[in-house]
Amino acid sequence: MDILTNFGVKPILLMAQVVNFLILLFILKRFLYKPLLKALDQRKQRIADSLRNAEEIEKRLEQTTKEREERLKKASREAEEILAEAAKTADRIVAEAHLKAGHDIKKLMEKSKDAMEQERGKLHQEIRGELADLVAASLQKVTGKIITTKDQKEMIQRSVEGLA
Amino acid sequence: MQELRALLVQLELLEQQDLQLEQQEYQLLVLVLDRPLNSPPLKSSLSFYIKYSILKRQYGLDSPSSPRVKCTVVEIQLAAETIGHLGPIPLTNSMLVTFVTTILLSAVAIFATRSVQVVPAGLQNVFEFAIEAVYDLTEDLAHSKAKVFFPLIMTFFLFIITANWLGLLPGFGTIGFNEIHKGKQVFVPLLRSINADLNTTLALALISVIATHILAVRYLGILDYFKKWFNLNPIFLFVGLLELVGEFTKIVSLSFRLFGNIFAGEIVLATIAGIFAFVVPLPFYFLEIIVGFVQAAVFMMLTLTFMVLLSEKQGE
Repeated sequence: MDILTNFGVKPILLMAQVVNFLILLFILKRFLYKPLLKALDQRKQRIADSLRNAEEIEKRLEQTTKEREERLKKASREAEEILAEAAKTADRIVAEAHLKAGHDIKKLMEKSKDAMEQERGKLHQEIRGELADLVAASLQKVTGKIITTKDQKEMIQRSVEGLA
Repeated sequence: MQELRALLVQLELLEQQDLQLEQQEYQLLVLVLDRPLNSPPLKSSLSFYIKYSILKRQYGLDSPSSPRVKCTVVEIQLAAETIGHLGPIPLTNSMLVTFVTTILLSAVAIFATRSVQVVPAGLQNVFEFAIEAVYDLTEDLAHSKAKVFFPLIMTFFLFIITANWLGLLPGFGTIGFNEIHKGKQVFVPLLRSINADLNTTLALALISVIATHILAVRYLGILDYFKKWFNLNPIFLFVGLLELVGEFTKIVSLSFRLFGNIFAGEIVLATIAGIFAFVVPLPFYFLEIIVGFVQAAVFMMLTLTFMVLLSEKQGE
């Protein structure tokens, strides 16, 4: 223990240092570590919270974007469908119209053909009538007598047949 | 265990740095004294003895019963000088500085946390940085025990580093008075770097080791604690006894490492200042600033390692 006296170690001084250190330990623990560790902890908590929030927001944003894109895609698909449908309908309408028009034209042509035929028939009849009259008149003039209706008819018939 | 190994590596690095610092200091000393010294520098906890012996050879010492290092201007006594009495208690200069350090540190701590803000600024920021760094280290090693270990470890660090750096201020060891002691006129400095007093470092080492053991008992239970030292297996019994001796060595190594480094630093600074007081001591001051930090860190980390090792269940 000689060395300790050489170094000036005294129990009372040693005790004083120990007590002093313990007091310092207490003060620092109470006034420095406790509040600062608490603050650090709180900050850590807060950062973790805000990070989590940010993550959530990002996730939600991503979801929204995805949804919007999907909706846009769907809308464009629908529009395309509608357009295709419209085109199809238009085509159909045009085709129908074509068909109908063709039909109508055919019908009209047939009708006009019929009418013409009829007209021609009528014309024939008329001409024939007039011709018969004419023949009768000329015969009357030639023969100088009025032929009976029976004769007349016979003659007309014959001449007409000859004409024909 | 891995973190522990990492810490041991870190400690080794620190010790190496310490050694390098000493070598640099030694080279500087050679450079300044302009002649080679007889003994080479050795590892840290012995550094005090080496520097002491170098200076002993260099300047000559009084008889071994009253070790006193004579420098050209100042003399530094191995023991802290008594400057007064507080009732029956002798008041030494290092005790006075201990009070100053304690009050200063407490005041700064209270001032820094008078209103803790979420967004830190100024002193709060500085302390937060230090506390977070040390707390993370403690948590890495001690896990759930960090909350209990941390205050002690951090206080060791803050107290030692404040004391070491405070001791570098001008006025320490130079302001004082002359006293007639046993018929001789003796210079008594009013202020002394407190870790250059073995009372302080021994007190710190005792607190460190005793707290380590108390915490070990607390975490292991009294039975497991004793199992660490005493084992029926004769080989382990021997190892346990060796480790028990090691616990006493811890006190010596912790206290003398810190004391040796700081006291030797004081001597070197005083010696260099005695040779030429302008500019020349500056590199030594820078070295002492680093030494002050390294010693505080080493003391803190060793305490932490001892605590973690001792409060861990014995691997089976």
